[in-house]
Amino acid sequence: MALLLKKRSVLPGFGLTLGFTLLYLSLIVLIPLAGTFLKTASLSWTQFWETITAPRALASYRLSFGASFIAALLNSIFGLVVAWVLVRYQFPGKRLIDAMVDLPFALPTAVAGIAFTAVYSSQGWIGKLLEPLGLQVAFTPLGITLVLTFIGLPFVVRTVQPVLEDIEPELEEAAATLGAPRWRTFRRVIFPTIWPALVTGFAMAFARAVGEYGSVIFIAGNMPMRTEITPLLIITKLEQYDYAGATALAVVMLVVSFALLLLINLLQEWSSRFHKVN
Amino acid sequence: MLNQATVQRRGRAIAAQVKTEPAAVRWLLIAAALGFMALFVLLPLAVVFVSAFEKGMGVYLASIREPDALAAIQLTLLTAALAVPLNLIFGVIAAWAIAKFEFKGKNVLITLIDLPFSVSPVVSGLIYVLIFGLHGWFGSWLNEHDIKIIFAVPGIVLATIFVTFPFVARELIPLMQAQGNEEEEAALSLGASGWQTFIRVTLPNLKWGLLYGVILCNARAMGEFGAVSVVSGHIRGLTNTMTLHVEILYNEYNSAAAFAVASLLALLALVTLVAKSVVEWKTKQKSHVESSPSVQEEIA
Amino acid sequence: MKIEIQNLTKKFGAFAALKSISLDVASGELLALLGPSGCGKTTLLRILAGLEFADSGAIRFDGDDATSQSVRARKVGFVFQHYALFRHMTVFENIAFGLRVRPRKLRPSRQAIHDKVQELLNLVKLEEMAARYPTQLSGGQRQRVALARALAVEPRVLLLDEPFGALDAKVRQELRRWLRRLHDEIHITSVFVTHDQEEALEVADRVVVMNAGRIEQIGTSDAVYNQPATPFVYHFLGQVNLFHGRVEGDKLNVGGMLIDKPDGVQDEAETATIYVRPHMLEIDPRPNQHQHFRATIKHINAAGPQVKVELITAWGAPIQVDLSQERFRVLALKKETEVFVSPREIRVFAE
Repeated sequence: MALLLKKRSVLPGFGLTLGFTLLYLSLIVLIPLAGTFLKTASLSWTQFWETITAPRALASYRLSFGASFIAALLNSIFGLVVAWVLVRYQFPGKRLIDAMVDLPFALPTAVAGIAFTAVYSSQGWIGKLLEPLGLQVAFTPLGITLVLTFIGLPFVVRTVQPVLEDIEPELEEAAATLGAPRWRTFRRVIFPTIWPALVTGFAMAFARAVGEYGSVIFIAGNMPMRTEITPLLIITKLEQYDYAGATALAVVMLVVSFALLLLINLLQEWSSRFHKVN
Repeated sequence: MLNQATVQRRGRAIAAQVKTEPAAVRWLLIAAALGFMALFVLLPLAVVFVSAFEKGMGVYLASIREPDALAAIQLTLLTAALAVPLNLIFGVIAAWAIAKFEFKGKNVLITLIDLPFSVSPVVSGLIYVLIFGLHGWFGSWLNEHDIKIIFAVPGIVLATIFVTFPFVARELIPLMQAQGNEEEEAALSLGASGWQTFIRVTLPNLKWGLLYGVILCNARAMGEFGAVSVVSGHIRGLTNTMTLHVEILYNEYNSAAAFAVASLLALLALVTLVAKSVVEWKTKQKSHVESSPSVQEEIA
Repeated sequence: MKIEIQNLTKKFGAFAALKSISLDVASGELLALLGPSGCGKTTLLRILAGLEFADSGAIRFDGDDATSQSVRARKVGFVFQHYALFRHMTVFENIAFGLRVRPRKLRPSRQAIHDKVQELLNLVKLEEMAARYPTQLSGGQRQRVALARALAVEPRVLLLDEPFGALDAKVRQELRRWLRRLHDEIHITSVFVTHDQEEALEVADRVVVMNAGRIEQIGTSDAVYNQPATPFVYHFLGQVNLFHGRVEGDKLNVGGMLIDKPDGVQDEAETATIYVRPHMLEIDPRPNQHQHFRATIKHINAAGPQVKVELITAWGAPIQVDLSQERFRVLALKKETEVFVSPREIRVFAE
């Protein structure tokens, strides 16, 4: 009875706990965030606009968003393969791989940053092999993209995996009895089912990558206009005591984050509705 | 007419085709997945430990025992010891309010609690600089009263609380919602007070979810870099956490020492993953028992 | 304890769950609230328990106003449909819970709690299960633990929400007989909710039939089954055949069969609906002296204590007649034969 759930509960403590929740939330999150928006008021609109559209800022957006987009795309492809393999096949070391998917969540970003730099620098394990081919990874946008791929890895796998697990075997069997070859079954039956989860995972990986700082700064080289991501530009402005400039860029980042959060919420709603129908 | 054997053979072939792909495709996919994981996860992890011990055990131990490193470890532990319990208490209280009661704007509240996850770490630090920094809202007042928040330990703790804010709450809210209110109602109808109900009935049911949230919260609290970097001021031996200490050593080209400290953090990540897997395994096992067919019916 | 319920109403948003319910429960009585899902029976029970509060109306326990008393203060025993056992506690701890959470002054000694729990374990016949966890018990055993837990605090009234709803058919039957015997032993005022008519009729002293937030009828099992007060009760309790009749003077015309217009039908009514239970219809191979109509046998199900005969009337309506096995053998009925059907007892409701 759905209606019964909308009742006034007899459990105590509603006012107290909700009050505390709102207070703590306001003190730690809402007021500081709102303060950031207010701080930009110290800039005039033209100043604000000039700050956020300065060539150096624009270059940093291009890098941040471009690298994040490619990283999220890579994650969508390989994340899907990893999720598929983990759900569908048996192979030695499967449980280890499953657990390791969450490493990017658990490993401090700074550690990931120096580790990737060590692997891909010209003396590194892989960088050494790539240098003779004229391919430089560390201190280039390519390196940034690779480390952002690492950061976003769990998102696609962990959103697609449960959906794949829930697909009923009957669905595929039905498709097969109707004469569909395996590839067509995947394209027509399985893929449409996991598509919303895949898009959600992509958006989450992208959102995470855009704001990422710790892992990127080590491998980026941090050259203005070339390998300087937006979060780093904020730090640079802070270190030059350009609070207004830093805040303006922070506001841009916040607006983007909120837009992405809204998008992800909508995607999740879409995905869960789709999921239930199936 | 097909004979029976042909029909059976064809049936098996179809069944096999239905369940999985041709072996070649299967192995190709497994190889791709393993290759990707090896390249992106195992290799960087291995490099941390190999580089840490590159110059031998002596250098490794010295790098960790050095006073600045010890101070960094202490600060990291202190930060986690403050941030995790605070967010734990908040998480439990918020989950009670959200999961046990119906009210308008609940979804907005859940989204707001999740907000810190989508804010860039750098911005998470910056917002406190704007409030408590020298040029911030309370900057001059704090300066007059000689209270240091930014470029001091309180700022580091605050920024860490911010970035780890949602972990426990978002773990507990769906769990509590799934458990419903019946056990609490039963406890109240048996004469238990609200507090007794919470302590004796609600909390024990949450223990694995709570532990899970705390594990993730702790990993992030100890490993946070961006937000802490903004508010810390990088004062050696005073406001450097482990991750910041790694950065400084690395930028000084003291690679072995940087990786030595980093290896501790990597170890923490591995412990986190193991603990997380154990908790997941435990909860799966528990729900399995609960959904398994009941024991033989016997009625007097 | 005696319960008086006066004009209770309850809305959930725009949905009226209870529409002015008034009801008295006698002391020591076992009362069933029976109705389809969504009829308000569970809401009424939860309001009695203090787990829900009415928008208006009053509840009195032994004459004392309990309308806005908290669930804690009411001292009722509530048994939940899905048991709501504390899953992290053993059977023993579950039953002891209500005693252990009492304020120190009122709390019995450890020994007294132990004795009380043992006594209840004996009562529900689960002496061997004290150390088990709820997940290690069968559904029926869990339900008995839930009952023992509710009884431990010596409640003034016992409220049970679909107590056997989640059990399979056989256990359900055994458990409800056991509940009846238990009630005969301890005589606690009890109200239970069910959507299963058989359960209500078999166990309860009195049955309250509810529909769409209202009470349709209150009475003993015999009364609600044999003298249904409304068409709804007729439909809900047991099977019934419906005939639509046209009023012609002081007669009702049902497919050519003329019957005396009963008192319930107003003079100006043009049509009326006649309700006849399947076992109140008689089949004859030849026309007899009673009022009758023609029908053709379509299907015969002779499995069970009664033979169920499905027929199509001359005007095309499907009906069912229940016969005793002896009567069926005497008549030697065959499919696709035409017979004469005569009602022994009918109820008429005007439309």
